[in-house]
Amino acid sequence: MKILVCLKQVPHKDARLELAPDGKWISDANIKFEINDYDNYALEEALRAKDKDPATEVVVVTVGPDRVQQSLRTALGMGADRAVQVWDDGLAGADSLTIAKTVAAVAKAEKADLVLMGLMSDDTNYSLTGPMLAALLGVPHATGIVSAKVDGGQVEVERELEGGALEVVKLPLPCLLTAQTGMNEVRYASLKGIMQAKKKPLDKKSLADVGLSAGAVAPKTKIEKIYTPPKGAGAEILSGSKDEVAQKFVGKVKELGLL
Amino acid sequence: MAKTLIVAEIQKGALRESTLELVTLARKLGGEVVSLVIGSGVGGVAEDLAKKGGGKVLLADDGSLANYNLDGWTRAIGKAVESEKPELILISNTPIGWDIAGALAARLDCGIVSDVIRIEPDGGELVFVRRMFNAKFDARLRVSGTPRIATVQPGAAEAYTGSDSGSVAKLDGVGGDVRTKFVEIRVAPAGGHDLTKAEIIVSGGRGLQKPENFDAVLKPLVEALGAQMGASRPVVDAGWLPHEYQVGSSGQIVSPKLYVAVGISGAIQHLVGMKSSNFIIAINKDADAPIFEVADVGIVGDLFEIVPALVGAVKAAKGS
Ligand SMILES: Cc1cc2nc3c(=O)[nH]c(=O)nc-3n(C[C@@H](O)[C@H](O)[C@H](O)COP(=O)(O)OP(=O)(O)OC[C@H]3O[C@@H](n4cnc5c(N)ncnc54)[C@H](O)[C@@H]3O)c2cc1C
Ligand SMILES: Cc1cc2nc3c(=O)[nH]c(=O)nc-3n(C[C@H](O)[C@H](O)[C@H](O)COP(=O)(O)OP(=O)(O)OC[C@H]3O[C@@H](n4cnc5c(N)ncnc54)[C@H](O)[C@@H]3O)c2cc1C
Repeated sequence: MKILVCLKQVPHKDARLELAPDGKWISDANIKFEINDYDNYALEEALRAKDKDPATEVVVVTVGPDRVQQSLRTALGMGADRAVQVWDDGLAGADSLTIAKTVAAVAKAEKADLVLMGLMSDDTNYSLTGPMLAALLGVPHATGIVSAKVDGGQVEVERELEGGALEVVKLPLPCLLTAQTGMNEVRYASLKGIMQAKKKPLDKKSLADVGLSAGAVAPKTKIEKIYTPPKGAGAEILSGSKDEVAQKFVGKVKELGLL
Repeated sequence: MAKTLIVAEIQKGALRESTLELVTLARKLGGEVVSLVIGSGVGGVAEDLAKKGGGKVLLADDGSLANYNLDGWTRAIGKAVESEKPELILISNTPIGWDIAGALAARLDCGIVSDVIRIEPDGGELVFVRRMFNAKFDARLRVSGTPRIATVQPGAAEAYTGSDSGSVAKLDGVGGDVRTKFVEIRVAPAGGHDLTKAEIIVSGGRGLQKPENFDAVLKPLVEALGAQMGASRPVVDAGWLPHEYQVGSSGQIVSPKLYVAVGISGAIQHLVGMKSSNFIIAINKDADAPIFEVADVGIVGDLFEIVPALVGAVKAAKGS
């Protein structure tokens, strides 16, 4: 079985984000990046399939500038077999459909049995790329899954709904699944894995290499501006030393009649 | 705005509240409103929506649509788009919404903005406003070409309460093959940790850093206040606490007299679960954390210093 895992590199959770001068995105100078959390679960699921059946090939793919190679190496260190990076300066203003079309070009060539990816990305929180990619590939999909059991030519998944309810559905292979967090317990790359990763193939491709032109994937959705949300009423911030703050806290709880 | 298509959702046999919120948004934009009701034996819901401002209501009614499924729904929405040629398609940002919307956009090769909180007409154009970076930033987006799709965050608008005399028309050719087979809905067994009736909840988030800190740092405050402990999702994902501690859209929806959020950023999915609490106190080291927008009282600082001080003060107050 061949599994394609889509990874996105996003700003590190603890990074202090600042606006880029054009106000359309954040400045990526001086911040650390990491693999999108949701994607870690997707990768882990693929690696578990490989643990069970070593004949399984796990290919990770990402669309992004050269800094993403570090995340691809991390994925290779964890056990993925090969990595594909697609980048072209023409992709800078990409929207989700641009990314989906680009990944689709790779996925069509790879002919994977299963595509695994994250439900959403930690930066834009769009949750669009997975269903788009599935539609472009003509395969069924399920989003926000917390478990997947491959059995012969089909996979049974649990999809998370609201309020703790799960929907169980069966999909035929090939298909695409987007992972919700908590799906499994994500492994770390071992030292041995990291050493081996250096020798594993990482193919960098341009748009032309995957048979696309910038025009074919031109974005239809454009960010006009991002900005710090205007402060609404907001909270009354308690000031003072920590003991003064604690006294004020007690005062509030007393006012509520709870102490 | 010329024509908006609303994709309705049904929950427990009735129109989902978020569908009526879409009606409010669509009507505000002016122009024609067309709605689509999908299901099996759901003519009554379609009639209801027609009366509640849904305008012309298309009814996609077929046995194969009894449970949500990707193929059936895409087919039905595709038919409606073909016959109505809407300029804007509105879908709620729910588990159905995020399963279907991206696939639809790819098929129609059109622009889309997900999880919108506001739509602002701007001349002949529309500006879509949403949050990004886990609510640290707001974004304004524009979409070129039509149709365009927006999925809308539940609660982004008031549910429409006007009445109207819309009509219902049956949509044909909506049955067919479905590749994804529905098996069942599993509802997690109600655990022993019911937060819905708690008077005081003290919840911990990723800011607590490790499981031991729930016992060492948070529990003393929980006990001093006579509260129940809650948690954000990453805490539960990491296995630090069982699922029944989770507050949020995929956890418990709570409304205690006092909710204390410790080391929780305030992502929308968490807020959904706790924002109707009577009084909210948030403790976070980041003064810009979105949680402070819904909190009544905020304490900006390191929880590892603040929480023990609170425990001391609460204990002292009880002793006196
Ligand atoms: C300078 C700059 C400008 C931008 N301008 C715009 C803009 O004008 N309009 C706009 O809509 N967006 C813009 N973006 C964001 C855009 O490039 C997003 O990354 C893109 O929309 C795709 O990811 P997503 O956030 O939609 O993913 P989601 O749909 O939220 O992510 C779901 C999953 O899709 C997969 N995935 C997402 N992205 C990738 C990827 N690159 N490679 C492989 N897998 C991936 C991952 O598995 C991820 O978990 C801009 C970004 C930058 C850096
Ligand atoms: C479909 C879906 C459903 C979801 N359902 C839920 C749900 O039911 N419940 C839920 O909670 N989430 C849910 N989520 C996840 C949600 O989007 C967020 O990822 C999550 O709420 C973030 O949890 P957090 O605030 O604990 O972590 P983070 O966002 O990482 O925030 C940690 C906070 O701690 C602060 N902090 C760190 N160290 C300290 C310190 N020493 N002192 C003080 N403050 C500190 C930081 O400043 C930060 O604000 C869902 C997501 C999706 C996509």
